[in-house]
Order: sequence, then C-alpha cells, then structure tokens
Amino acid sequence: MIKAYNVCKSFGSNQVLRDVSLEIKNGEVVSIIGPSGSGKSTFLKCLNLLENPDSGSISFMGETIFSSEVKLKEKQLDEFRQKIGMVFQHFNVFPNLTVIDNITLAPIQTKKMSKEDAIKKAYELLDIVGLTDKASSYPRTLSGGQKQRLAIIRALAMEPTTMLFDEPTSALDPEMVKEVLEVIKNVVNMGMTVVIVTHEMNFAREVSDRVIFMDEGKIVEKGTPLQIFDNPQMDRTKLFLSKVL
Amino acid sequence: MINNVIDIIIEYYPLLLKGLGITALLSLVTVLFGAVIGMIIALMRLSNNKLLKGIASFYVEVIRGVPLLLQLLIIYIALPSSVSKFVAAAIALIINSGAYVAEIIRGGIQAVDNGQMDAARSLGLSKKQAMIKIILPQAVKNILPAIGNEYVTVIKETSLASTFYIGDLMTSQKYIGTETYLYLESYIVVAIFYFAATFTLSKLIGVLERRLKVSD
Repeated sequence: MIKAYNVCKSFGSNQVLRDVSLEIKNGEVVSIIGPSGSGKSTFLKCLNLLENPDSGSISFMGETIFSSEVKLKEKQLDEFRQKIGMVFQHFNVFPNLTVIDNITLAPIQTKKMSKEDAIKKAYELLDIVGLTDKASSYPRTLSGGQKQRLAIIRALAMEPTTMLFDEPTSALDPEMVKEVLEVIKNVVNMGMTVVIVTHEMNFAREVSDRVIFMDEGKIVEKGTPLQIFDNPQMDRTKLFLSKVL
Repeated sequence: MINNVIDIIIEYYPLLLKGLGITALLSLVTVLFGAVIGMIIALMRLSNNKLLKGIASFYVEVIRGVPLLLQLLIIYIALPSSVSKFVAAAIALIINSGAYVAEIIRGGIQAVDNGQMDAARSLGLSKKQAMIKIILPQAVKNILPAIGNEYVTVIKETSLASTFYIGDLMTSQKYIGTETYLYLESYIVVAIFYFAATFTLSKLIGVLERRLKVSD
C-alpha cells in the first residue's frame, strides 16, 4: 500500500503539486489522467522519491519513507526503490549495455543474484515480450516499442511489488502503442499494484480500478472508470474529457 | 630565407628532435596526471557536499583566471630548489590542465540524459553504482575527443616552460637563435615542428572520434 499525504512540490516559483493526497491499495490499478503540466509525472516521481517532495509525507507498506521528521538514508532509499519498478516516457534504456545486460545489471548489483540466475530470469522475461533474439543486441538497434518492452521487463527483473508507468506510450509511433499496452496489461494481470500516468483513455478505462483526474497540481476528481469517463462531476474533468475523447 | 630555414633544420635536427621529444613527454605527463586530477575535481564539483563543491569551483576559477606563465613562475619558485626544472614545469602544467580537464569531464557527465540516472536509481542502484555502470561509460564518448583537443592545447602551452630552459622545443630555438643570429628563421623552424606535432595529433583524434561515432 502506498499513501501520499498533502504532497507539495515546487520547481523554482512554479508550484507543481499542491497538497496531493492519495491512497493506493495493494493490487490496485490506478490511472492518473489530466492535461500536460498538471503535475502527474512529478507526483509519480514523488512516489518512489526520484523527486523529494517539499512537504507532505509518503508511506509504503505502512512504513513512512518521507516526511518532515523522517529522512531515510541513501542505502534505505535504494532498498525501497528496488521494490518499486518504474517505466519512463522516453524508455531510458541503457545504451551502453546490451539488452540482456540492461535486464541483469540491477539484480546482480543490488540483489547479489548470481549471474547465471539473473540471465536465466532475463531470458524468461525476454520470452514473454518476444525479444529473445535481441538479447545480445544493443538498444540502438531496437524500435521504440521494443525499447519500451525492454524497459518494462528490466523493471520486472527486480521482482517489484509495485510498478509505476510514466506515460509509457507517449513517445511511441502509433503503430507501436498496442504492443506496449499489451505488455502492460500482462503486468496488470499479474496482480501487481500499478500506477499509470497515461493519455490512453480507452486503456485507462479498460484496466483501471480507479481513475484520478489531476489539473494544476491538484487531484480534481477520482472514482471508478465508469464514474470518471461516463459521469464526471467536475466541470474541469468534463472539459478535459470533451477534448480528448 | 627559405635556404636558412632548411639549413637550420639540417644542422640542428638532433637538437630539434630532442626538444620535440621533451615537449612530447612533458605534454603526455601533463595530460595523464591532469586527467586524474580533472576527474577528481569534476566529481567534487558534481557532488552534493557543499565543501567539496566549493573547493573544486574555487580551484577551477582561480586556475582559469590566472595566466599560465604566472602559475609556472609561482610554482617553480615555491617548490624547493631540489626539484628539477622539468618536474616543476610538469607540476604547474598538471595543476593547470587539471582545471580545464575537470570542466571537460563535468560537461561530458552532465551531457548524459538525466533520464539515465533516474532509470538507474529507480532500479535501486546506488548513486555510485549508477555513476560507474551507466553514466561514466556514456560520458566517455563526450569526453574523449575534448580531452584530445586539450592534449593539442597542452603541447602548445608547454612552450611557456622554456622560460626555465628545460630543453623542450622552444628551448632549442633559444640555443639556435643565439648561435646563428637567425631569429626569424629559427622561430619559423620550431613553428613547423609544433605544427607537425599538433596537426598529426588532431588528425589522430579525428580518426578516434569517427570510431567512437561508429559504435554509437
């Protein structure tokens, strides 16, 4: 379970998050939608503390990992992040490593997994996303869709309990969106806790238990996909949906 | 005049080659140790520790803001007289080059996409692990060509060390000029030698750069 309470974040004079509070239950799939610049991605990065909030608190599995009183040591933070996978808009695969090394690096370095075990596990994951024949290639030879599939299994190789997706299909060519969404659907079906920032409204409607609409650094409305997409209460939600649907 | 130039080369080529050798050695020593110092200073500047950051910034600003000739003189006089002139010149050049290399390395590291560090940290890698396994290997591609250019610059800058008559290429000119009174011609001769050295090196760096691009 992840709890964010009154999270605020500014970059310079630009206040990106204003008292954002959200509780995500174990196994829940939550989509965050909203216009660009509404603070969705920043909020996601606050959940695994890639960005430190200015104020507020974050807890994970009942343990406070960030608040005005609690400052975890770097090592504790690293251990906490191993439990939360993250997938980025621009893939952020490691161009200096082969596909297989992209996947095995973190398990070998942080979990002290043996190289043989890590490679075995990596091939299982590669098989799931159909990239086995690319194992020894470098990422520059992959298409955008392949890079994103690699980024997803790179995160899964750490066996996280939770996955964060930050606009995973926004940088993809249209014909590659589907293959990546299929993989994300697989992740959802594995029963993990998943938070997705997305502009794919149909996908959000299909996979989410709950949908959050954010605008100007605030959560404007939250509810089931039915409530948000078919019967939005707030004017700003209605306006946004009328533009994107 | 051209005849005089050719005569000087024919007559003094052992001296000139020896000078070129000393210039090359001094440059090589400077670049190698300068790279080590530059690496340390660059990492200090990029660290979160304010004291380390401050020391590194101060060092870079001072070195870049004071003429190299002055730095050479100050260090030469400050060092005990038992230190040889060559070593004194080398130390001054290393301290100087380190500051420039630090900026090259810092730029190279900062040019690596922020997303790489985010991705590495999101997997639970420590900052140090991310730096060694992900950021630095990518930064090397940005850094190596610029380091090569720094080497070219250093070759030219070592000429200032001839102030101490350390036997480098520029020092050979001083002997030749005094012996032959052919000042213009002797300057032209060492200019040719410097140019031959820097031009060759630039071309080699060009080849290296293209190789790095191919593997991109």
